[in-house]
Amino acid sequence: MSSKLIGRRQITMGATAGVATLALPSLVRAQDQSIKVGTIFPLSGPAGPNGQAVTHAVKIAADMINAKGGVLGRKIVLVSKDDESTPAVGVTRANEMVAEKVAVVIEGWNSPVTLAMQPVLARANVLDITAVSKADPILAGQANPYAVRINSSNGQDGLVIADILLNKLKAKRIGFLTQNDAYGNGAQAVIEAEMTKLGKPWEKVVTEQFPFKQTDFRVSLANVKQAKPDAVVAINAAESSGMPALIQQYRQAGIEGTLVGAVGTILPTVFRIAGEAMTGVVSADIYFPDLPPFDGIKENIEFVAAYKKAHNELPDKGAALGAAALEVWASAANAAKSLDRKAVAEAIRGKTVPGTILGNLAFAANGQAQHKETVIKVVDGKTAKIEVLK
Amino acid sequence: MIKRHSTSFALVLAGLAYFVPTVAGGAPAAYTACTTIAILAVMAYGADLILSYLGEVSLGHTVFWAAGGYAAALLSVNYGWNGWATAGGAIVVAIIFACLLGLATLRTREFVFSLVTYAAAVVAMEIAFNWSYLGGSDGIVGVPPLDLPLFGWQLGGGTNDELWLIAWLLLMVTLLFIHRFRRSRLGISALMVHMNPDLATALGVDARRVRLAVFVTSAPISALAGWLYAYQRAYVGTDMFESYFLVLMLTAIVIVGRRMILGPLVGTALIIVQQNFFSIGGDGDKIVLGAVLAAILLLWPKGLVGVWDLLASRRAQAARPTT
Repeated sequence: MSSKLIGRRQITMGATAGVATLALPSLVRAQDQSIKVGTIFPLSGPAGPNGQAVTHAVKIAADMINAKGGVLGRKIVLVSKDDESTPAVGVTRANEMVAEKVAVVIEGWNSPVTLAMQPVLARANVLDITAVSKADPILAGQANPYAVRINSSNGQDGLVIADILLNKLKAKRIGFLTQNDAYGNGAQAVIEAEMTKLGKPWEKVVTEQFPFKQTDFRVSLANVKQAKPDAVVAINAAESSGMPALIQQYRQAGIEGTLVGAVGTILPTVFRIAGEAMTGVVSADIYFPDLPPFDGIKENIEFVAAYKKAHNELPDKGAALGAAALEVWASAANAAKSLDRKAVAEAIRGKTVPGTILGNLAFAANGQAQHKETVIKVVDGKTAKIEVLK
Repeated sequence: MIKRHSTSFALVLAGLAYFVPTVAGGAPAAYTACTTIAILAVMAYGADLILSYLGEVSLGHTVFWAAGGYAAALLSVNYGWNGWATAGGAIVVAIIFACLLGLATLRTREFVFSLVTYAAAVVAMEIAFNWSYLGGSDGIVGVPPLDLPLFGWQLGGGTNDELWLIAWLLLMVTLLFIHRFRRSRLGISALMVHMNPDLATALGVDARRVRLAVFVTSAPISALAGWLYAYQRAYVGTDMFESYFLVLMLTAIVIVGRRMILGPLVGTALIIVQQNFFSIGGDGDKIVLGAVLAAILLLWPKGLVGVWDLLASRRAQAARPTT
């Protein structure tokens, strides 16, 4: 009896093993055919919603690319991980991506997390494309000699704001409301340097600094009002709290000078909270889903439609940068006919990559994407209606 | 006789610990996890000296951890110092900070002690965040691979399997140090000051001096962990002051039980293995960590060892014949 039982069990095990052996080569082949692409963004915590939007956008871009035949004739499979906005966690996730043998990692919402992940990926010879993080050292080449960044740099942003202030608004008395850290102070320094380069007369009449988490600006704004500026630049990266509060209090203080938001700070969250107070704010950004030139780019129209269908809202800039990052990589890999880190990076750095949702995207030799910022003015804050400022 | 046996047992165990990543598959992920656990455990042992032997909760040990990391990064990137020199720098900086903070908190106890140490960590973080010499909010990038020249040998490296040897050595030296500390005059005095201050005073032990000495002894331990972490990550930033590391070190100490020589190591290993291999998402992990910490503090303040004691006493009770 018992020997029969063992026999049956052995047969079952043997059959299972046999099926497994037969199935194995086809499984391996299926895995061989697809290319793993990693994304590391914050999916939880305060920046979680932002990181999720970027991850969704990369997924949509992957579907679009797969529908057109994939990369080197192979389908893209995404592996998405959560860095929790914490460098230590990002390093762990980057190591996991190395173990998963991904062809490229698209990452970066917070600069410190990007800076921490860069050496891990570089040492493992994994291509690393930074979508959003803005810190200058990311492209300095110390940690990653093949760095690529899709978002604009502080230098480019400074030039645009300087142009708005002196050429478009023809302001002479200029004030600054600046977040007191490397981002805020760095951005202000670049704007001042670019204004000086423009060679027109201007005068800094007031500078008020505040920490990232501040939400009450009334004392600072009283000083700004006294200085009677023609225009005030607000550099505040707290788009869900500090920035909308600052704009509301700016209006309540009754300051007459035009409020200019630093590049990329006038996001949907700011509109949602500040509402009517937004009317009249001038700013610039590198992507607006439904404004020219993007409303005329075929890839963007397709992307916006797919994103809207999936998530019932328009993609924001972060989402666009995530999608563009994948498109840039796919296009470069196809051009280089290789997935090799160096070959693909060299097809991006110093080259122009065609066919992205941002149009034909040119890259400087250091890997920085070159953008044409769109200058906008808020016509009606309540309905978030904006127009392009010529 | 027993003592000799326990020493050789500990040596065998320490030797076997070196082969854990190999036994775990030898994959890069195994080396990464083991190196990280060793480094973070050493960080926790620094805070453990204060929590277990002085009975105080230091919320400022991230300062020493970060000081070690920043010293390694600054001295290697800007001045090209080798690993021994940067380690020396990390220890010196940590001792200076510990003397300052130790003197400032000399008269404080319990809640006020925790508050002052926490305030020190916040101030230190703000300074690092705003001082461009320390890299500001961007931190310091491009930390070179660790180089530790030793009699013509070149120890260290940049990858986790190269750093594992150093991390293992650092952990073993730390364990030996804690073991010796427990039997040292200072360790016994510290415990006396903590458990029975009146007796300590009666015996002529200067409580303040003991507290300062323990505080200053603990700082270089966390600093050396930070020193190695800087090389492992090749980047230091202000996140080293953040609550991620603070919560990690305190939980690692409390979870197993205070005054257990292997407690912080086992605690760190449990947390890191959960986060790396059994993660249920960022928010989920934090909820698990918080819930486990709260449950242990409320139900078994002695830690998991307390659960063991409870079970053992129940079994003993059940075995006893009823009358």
